[in-house]
Amino acid sequence: MSAPLEEKVEQRTRPTLEELKERKARNRQRVSDNAEVMTISMGPHHPSTHGVFRMDLDLDGEVIVDVRPEVGNLHRGMEKLAESKTYHQIIPLTDRLHYVVSFSQNEGYCEAVEKLMGIEVPERAKYIRSMCHEMCRIANHIIWLGFLVMDLGAITFQQITFREREYIMDLWEMLTGARLTHSFARIGGVAKDIPDGFREKMAAALEVIPKRMAEYDRLIRNNRIFLARGKDVGIFTSEDCAAWRVTGPTLRAAGCPRDLRKDEPFAAYDQLDFNVCVEYEADVIARYVLRMNEIYESIKIIKQCLDEMPDGPVIAEDAFHVIPPKKDVLRSSAAMIQDFVQVFRGPQVPKGEVYKAVETSQGELAFYIVSDGSPKPQRLRITTPCFYHCQAMQPLLQGEMLADIVGIFCGVDVCLGSCDR
Amino acid sequence: MAAAKNIDELSPAHKQVASHLQGKFGKRLLETSSFRGDLTYVVSPQDWLEVLTYCRDAEELRFDRLDSLLGNHFPEREDQPFEVIAHLVSIPHTTRIRIKTRLAEGETLPTVTGVWPSASFDERETWEMFGVVFEGHPNLTRLLTVPDFDGYPLRKDFPLQGRVGGRIRWNFKGEI
Repeated sequence: MSAPLEEKVEQRTRPTLEELKERKARNRQRVSDNAEVMTISMGPHHPSTHGVFRMDLDLDGEVIVDVRPEVGNLHRGMEKLAESKTYHQIIPLTDRLHYVVSFSQNEGYCEAVEKLMGIEVPERAKYIRSMCHEMCRIANHIIWLGFLVMDLGAITFQQITFREREYIMDLWEMLTGARLTHSFARIGGVAKDIPDGFREKMAAALEVIPKRMAEYDRLIRNNRIFLARGKDVGIFTSEDCAAWRVTGPTLRAAGCPRDLRKDEPFAAYDQLDFNVCVEYEADVIARYVLRMNEIYESIKIIKQCLDEMPDGPVIAEDAFHVIPPKKDVLRSSAAMIQDFVQVFRGPQVPKGEVYKAVETSQGELAFYIVSDGSPKPQRLRITTPCFYHCQAMQPLLQGEMLADIVGIFCGVDVCLGSCDR
Repeated sequence: MAAAKNIDELSPAHKQVASHLQGKFGKRLLETSSFRGDLTYVVSPQDWLEVLTYCRDAEELRFDRLDSLLGNHFPEREDQPFEVIAHLVSIPHTTRIRIKTRLAEGETLPTVTGVWPSASFDERETWEMFGVVFEGHPNLTRLLTVPDFDGYPLRKDFPLQGRVGGRIRWNFKGEI
């Protein structure tokens, strides 16, 4: 086994904001004044765009002068659709935002609705939610690494990372019954308790994943091509991140320890012990190191969740807002009435508006809900991190080389389903 | 709307923000409310740019990030049916604030892309979905829908189903 990633972090420098700016300015190729600018279109079918995303590139030779990102090819009108559905019926829609980390999107929506309705979630459900969040994070970061390395030219590596993601997918299948879009969160808790044998399977997976991570590390960390194509490429300082609303690992890789799990704790994160990973070099390599460190933290959190999880119900007992567990519906008449009312009429909601943000593996996902007192939202706005990451392609890519687009684009982690809504 | 009496339930950080903004703008904050810990201010469209710029620049506030900017439509309000809502975040203070403005049909709003460049996509989306024009925006074109889409989909009078507006004209010759 190679040395853990923490050792490498110590060797890395901690440049200040000024140094980073200077480095960024130096890296950017100077565009000559009388350059002949050529405009070409990249996408929407380009394999590295991870979806249907088009960029209009203004090029001076191989240097990018300007970028006009174009999104919207996957627009499904989810916000309009949500206005015609009750609060319970919107949960499956949120799955389809980002299909790699469906649970995080479900949970973010449910957190917002619970804030609106003032529901207290049981402790056990909070721990299950935190655990599921971290499962999402591990799966997403592993698959991200595979795509990054594939974009930089090594296709085999992507197949290897899918092998490890399979452990998480099997766990999802055991926990929820589905592998991709599982709609597992419910308003007031989660759909099911963890099944028998889940802990053992999880323990086995958490045993294997760090070993495989060490394997990745051995393959990539000292790879000359990877370092040459990632070092000092795509520098984005914390100031730029704030101006362009770039969040998540990209922001933390620029030296800003902003993590909603610590800053505005949701689920059970206020009771869990974990560190916020920070990197300082703000380039593609820093984003890679940061994500790998986050996987180790996630493993720590999942172990804590499984150990400290209290007993009790997994969904709140609240007759006005919550769909009761199925086994109660078939046995007690009160629960059956509650189920009918919730399914056919929907929950009772106070008038008002809430905004709730959660930390997903891409960045800060926020839901803004306006309620007029009816069981359907008056307005639901989904503020996804990827929307702003696509927009930030313009400052990120200006002055960089054409061949680095794929690495930078993958480096900030964009999902077009989440961007276009 | 909830009245200012709920202000007492705010967190200490929010109380500071509230008292600072109240001291600076006073009567120009048309409404103040708080619901479930979210602090909301309503300003007039003329004060929109000034209030948002002040929120970013004031040392005590430091709302350095625009978390989202969006529109809303209330057809039952006769004179001012549109709302534009900005959510601001302060990374150093970890506070949030919501600032709204209400607009009549056809009324325009100055762009905040000069304050936060990230507002560009948000304003384009708000324009295409609600028809609120942002003056001074560098590129106010359709973002999520097709370029020749007809109508403003998120307005309440736009139908959920049907063939209104969504038809793609294949012989479209306009600027894409």
